[in-house]
Amino acid sequence: MAAPVNNSSGCWRVPEVYKHHEQRRVCISRPKYREGRKAKAVKVYTINLESRYLMVQGVPAIGVMTELIQLCALYGAVEEYRPLDEYPAEEFTEVYLVKFQKLTSARAAKRCMDEKSFYGGVLHVCYVPEYETVEDTRLKLQDRRSYVIRAAQKRVREREQKEDTQEEPSSSETTTMSDDNILTHKQTSGNDNTRETSNVSHYLGFPPLPLPPQEHHYHRPKSQHLPTEDKMGTLHNTCAGTFEQREGSSRSKQTLSSRQAAHQAAAVRFLPRTTHLEKRKRKMEEAEEPSSTVSGQNEPLIGPKLPEPSKLEMEDESLNTTVSLIRTTMKQVTSSPDIKPVEKKVKPRRRI
Amino acid sequence: MMWRSGSSGGSDRFEYLQTLVTEFQDTDSDEAKEQVLANLANFAYDPKNVEYLRELQVTDLFLDMLTEENENFVEFGMGGLCNLSMDPECRDVVLQSDGIRLVTNCLSSRREETVLSAITTLMNLLTPVSRSQITDPAILQCMLRFSLSESPRLRNLATVFLQDSCSEEQVAQAQQQMEGQQMAVGIPLPKD
Repeated sequence: MAAPVNNSSGCWRVPEVYKHHEQRRVCISRPKYREGRKAKAVKVYTINLESRYLMVQGVPAIGVMTELIQLCALYGAVEEYRPLDEYPAEEFTEVYLVKFQKLTSARAAKRCMDEKSFYGGVLHVCYVPEYETVEDTRLKLQDRRSYVIRAAQKRVREREQKEDTQEEPSSSETTTMSDDNILTHKQTSGNDNTRETSNVSHYLGFPPLPLPPQEHHYHRPKSQHLPTEDKMGTLHNTCAGTFEQREGSSRSKQTLSSRQAAHQAAAVRFLPRTTHLEKRKRKMEEAEEPSSTVSGQNEPLIGPKLPEPSKLEMEDESLNTTVSLIRTTMKQVTSSPDIKPVEKKVKPRRRI
Repeated sequence: MMWRSGSSGGSDRFEYLQTLVTEFQDTDSDEAKEQVLANLANFAYDPKNVEYLRELQVTDLFLDMLTEENENFVEFGMGGLCNLSMDPECRDVVLQSDGIRLVTNCLSSRREETVLSAITTLMNLLTPVSRSQITDPAILQCMLRFSLSESPRLRNLATVFLQDSCSEEQVAQAQQQMEGQQMAVGIPLPKD
């Protein structure tokens, strides 16, 4: 009756194509008042569907795994990743499994990377909870539960406070439109008052420098009127740069600058496909090994030059330093010459 | 109580949710109902909205969906309950409205998402008072069967349910009962 259970190390099973991997048709019949900024399919997200494991489809098969993982790492620490060779993929594309350290990172990565163009292809990113172990699932539920309960306790406290004092609650308590609670699971209940990070910060979780990840508790400034969720209840993808509207503390500026810098650095590498292909062809003719990076600094450049990353002038000196540090790091990483084609390399796999 | 701070955001949000509920109740279009239901279920994921949704009696709305013929209604309603029921106050509303029985019925749905939401919701509904009902041998046997499923998600969730909701003795007892029933019909259980 029941098939024998194969519970051995979750990541390495032969993948099945599940219904929740499919990209559903976007809904076009919504009345205007509840149309979101971005057309979406009709779908309900629960904690069961979300996962630290993401599957990224549509990655052009041109040896850009490193770049893909770098992009993922912008949203949080990546614990493991591997190509899913067995998964059905469109011609000339690859599929990758990426495991994030935190669910919030996976959530941000999914929101920001899904449907985005990447080296000439369009990424389709979805959660793949079927790769979880029992323990993964349990922890996921526990985290979610404690987060919801903390939020409920805070609400009760606020209510009691309001009844006791009969005045407006303290200004640093959350406004109603904040979406921080969606994205931070491990907030500490007393600290809500003191943090004023920007909306963008929790899509990153932390600046893309080698610092330990920190959970930012987002507080929208009181003057903010826009709902953070769109009208369909799902968190809107604000990765495209609506953060200019936000006011914030210096910390928010810092994460903002890192975000912008990272975005700029990432944007520089999103070449038009034909230019990129021609470049690769040239490199293959000139050099032994095809490089999987985009840097063209060591060869005579023929054809259109890459746009220079625009000088980002922040108001603060320390922020400028941060920006240039990030730029330098990105340059160093992209200019490393010895990246072999992925298929020939056996990646040491980190054990959790 | 609805406006938590001086900003007008709270009332806007409440009014918006109210409009959704009104549309759901007034419209004849199943398609519109599905869209609105999915919206409400997704809003239920954010604890900030939970109080509004409770006031708008959306918890009851979701419960009502569980007995609908339309499988999308059931799936979205069950998802909404899965999201809402983690909140203790919503949990209590569900418990008071015969929620355990309604959710348990969803365990036999053909839709995997519905079943997964139902299992999680049952776990959310666990309290000292409700424990005996939720760990009824019939439910435990159902979870045991799920823990042998080909679907990893179903297996994992059912396993977590069995490990976290009841004692090993209860599980063993349920297993024995199940084997007894199976043997009576001549179908042995698969041996691991």
